[in-house]
Amino acid sequence: MEAPPDPRPHTSAAAPLRAPEVARLREEQEKVVTNCQEKIQHWKKVDNDYNALQERLSTLPDKLSYNIMVPFGPFAFMPGKLVHTNEVTVLLGDNWFAKCSAKQAVGLVEHRKEHVRKTIDDLKKVMKNFESRVEFTEDLQKMSDAAGDIVDIREEIKTDFEFKAKHRIAHKPHSKPKTSDIFEAEFANDLKSKDLLADKELWDRLEELERQEELLGEIDIDSKPDTVIANGDVSSEEEKEDQNINVNMMHQVTDSLTLSNCYNSLTNSELFNGQVNSPLNYSVNGSNSYHSNEDDNDDGGDNENDHDTLGVEDNSIPTIYFSHTVEPKRVRINTGKNTTLKFSEKKEEAKRKRKNSSGSGHSPQELPMIRTPADIYRVFVDIVNGEYVPRKSILKSRSRENSVCSDTSESSAADFDDRRGVLRSISCEEATCSDASESILEEEQQENHQKKPLPLSVTPEAFSGTVIEKEFLSPSLIPHPAMAHPVLPTIPERKEVLSEVSEGTTKRVSKFKAARLQQKN
Amino acid sequence: MPSRGERPEDGAGLVPAESSTLHKEELSSKIKEQKVVVDELSNLKKNRKVYRQQQNSNIFFLAERTEMLSESKNILDELRKEYQEIENSEKTKIKK
Repeated sequence: MEAPPDPRPHTSAAAPLRAPEVARLREEQEKVVTNCQEKIQHWKKVDNDYNALQERLSTLPDKLSYNIMVPFGPFAFMPGKLVHTNEVTVLLGDNWFAKCSAKQAVGLVEHRKEHVRKTIDDLKKVMKNFESRVEFTEDLQKMSDAAGDIVDIREEIKTDFEFKAKHRIAHKPHSKPKTSDIFEAEFANDLKSKDLLADKELWDRLEELERQEELLGEIDIDSKPDTVIANGDVSSEEEKEDQNINVNMMHQVTDSLTLSNCYNSLTNSELFNGQVNSPLNYSVNGSNSYHSNEDDNDDGGDNENDHDTLGVEDNSIPTIYFSHTVEPKRVRINTGKNTTLKFSEKKEEAKRKRKNSSGSGHSPQELPMIRTPADIYRVFVDIVNGEYVPRKSILKSRSRENSVCSDTSESSAADFDDRRGVLRSISCEEATCSDASESILEEEQQENHQKKPLPLSVTPEAFSGTVIEKEFLSPSLIPHPAMAHPVLPTIPERKEVLSEVSEGTTKRVSKFKAARLQQKN
Repeated sequence: MPSRGERPEDGAGLVPAESSTLHKEELSSKIKEQKVVVDELSNLKKNRKVYRQQQNSNIFFLAERTEMLSESKNILDELRKEYQEIENSEKTKIKK
């Protein structure tokens, strides 16, 4: 087997990312390959031994006794005889032995050889795999040294961003989601002359994003931390080198992300996209410049990127600084006619913009536009002790109190019953209005506005297609891929009582505190 | 009677090395060993017993001298052939 010849790592400072890391990668891969080779050798020897043993066993019973040299310890021998040639004691492992005939022993040996063969095959596969990796790494090294068409894509990651669990911060209640604000602002600024240009850019951007989406398929956007981690693994070493350069860029990113929870990141992606859409809103972040320049020729993008990198290092490789943005998920909406629409955020944005530009749209701006779960947390914020407290996530146990199947209710039974009652009453309504799902968001907002004083319940079924927010508890997710089946009835024993408005003014306290307070009183 | 243990040859259990030089070296050492075996066997008195070691263990089974001698010679020839082949292929490579 030919080991690939070892090219000398390119030591020029012009390719800082390439030489040491890639050489090391190659080394490590080669280590694995040699390790595998050694193991394979060992196992082949074992296989050989078993073969010899099998041979010997097969002929052993032919004679009544054999003249042998009996070993006394490691170096001394004594001539002797081997008798009872058909009785073989086999070690089964863990100091257990089995007495069997020579033929049976042959069978046992065969079984062990099978295992050895399997091990050897696995090792060979691994070796082959790593050999191909070594080849690839070599090619990579060569190509990068040549500084040809390879473009280095780097993603700067703020190290403490994803991995720490940051506490959720409450927004001001009824605050509108950020995107709509930005959207409005941009629109206001971009007057007629620039409007057309912005439109065109927007359409181009939309098409390009859709193409990307199609290419990437339905990548799970909620796994953003994972993907970012993956990127981090690859680029962690490079990141350190460039951290100084890109601090300013990252600053912008992190500022927008300091509100910093996973939910926010979704709206921030819209923030990003909002910024990207305007060609004049030229943020420093290299990724934005990359995106907005993609419509132009790549050379321009690359040059600008190099420019953005402040030319601190003379990169022989054109570098693209990439920052991970989260594409909003495509949501399927059940229109109630057994069809589903793909609710693409971009298209909706474009539609709204067109509507606005035609001067007819006013309603979307009045109600809080809830387009992502994060928006829900913006709109509905609790006030505890005069401070804003974010609602608990729907994944927390408290929110499961509403579900029919949940027995983990910790609040008082009365409240629980009330909620159940509300659940039932509203679920009936929902069954009727689950068809009108095109205007789901508007409906929900109207509902929320009208019913805001009244507590609303979360349906046990997540597929009804509407989001109704319950007073105390966290809201469920926005329209799901819904099946048009009716909402199942809740447990019939619960009373149908609407809970009171007064709950809205009650502060949220933990059950322990509540118990203590009760005891005091 | 003093008797002699004899190690049976390991077949070519090694994977052919990456470079032929490695393989050549191993072969050459094996060939030397085999030569010694053949010489010793041929130099035995007629009444000597020859024992053969069971692979991977310390037990020696009695074996016939003549049989062992012929076997050892065969192995030696094979090893030599292999060595020659490698040498030839190397020479052709160098010529090219």
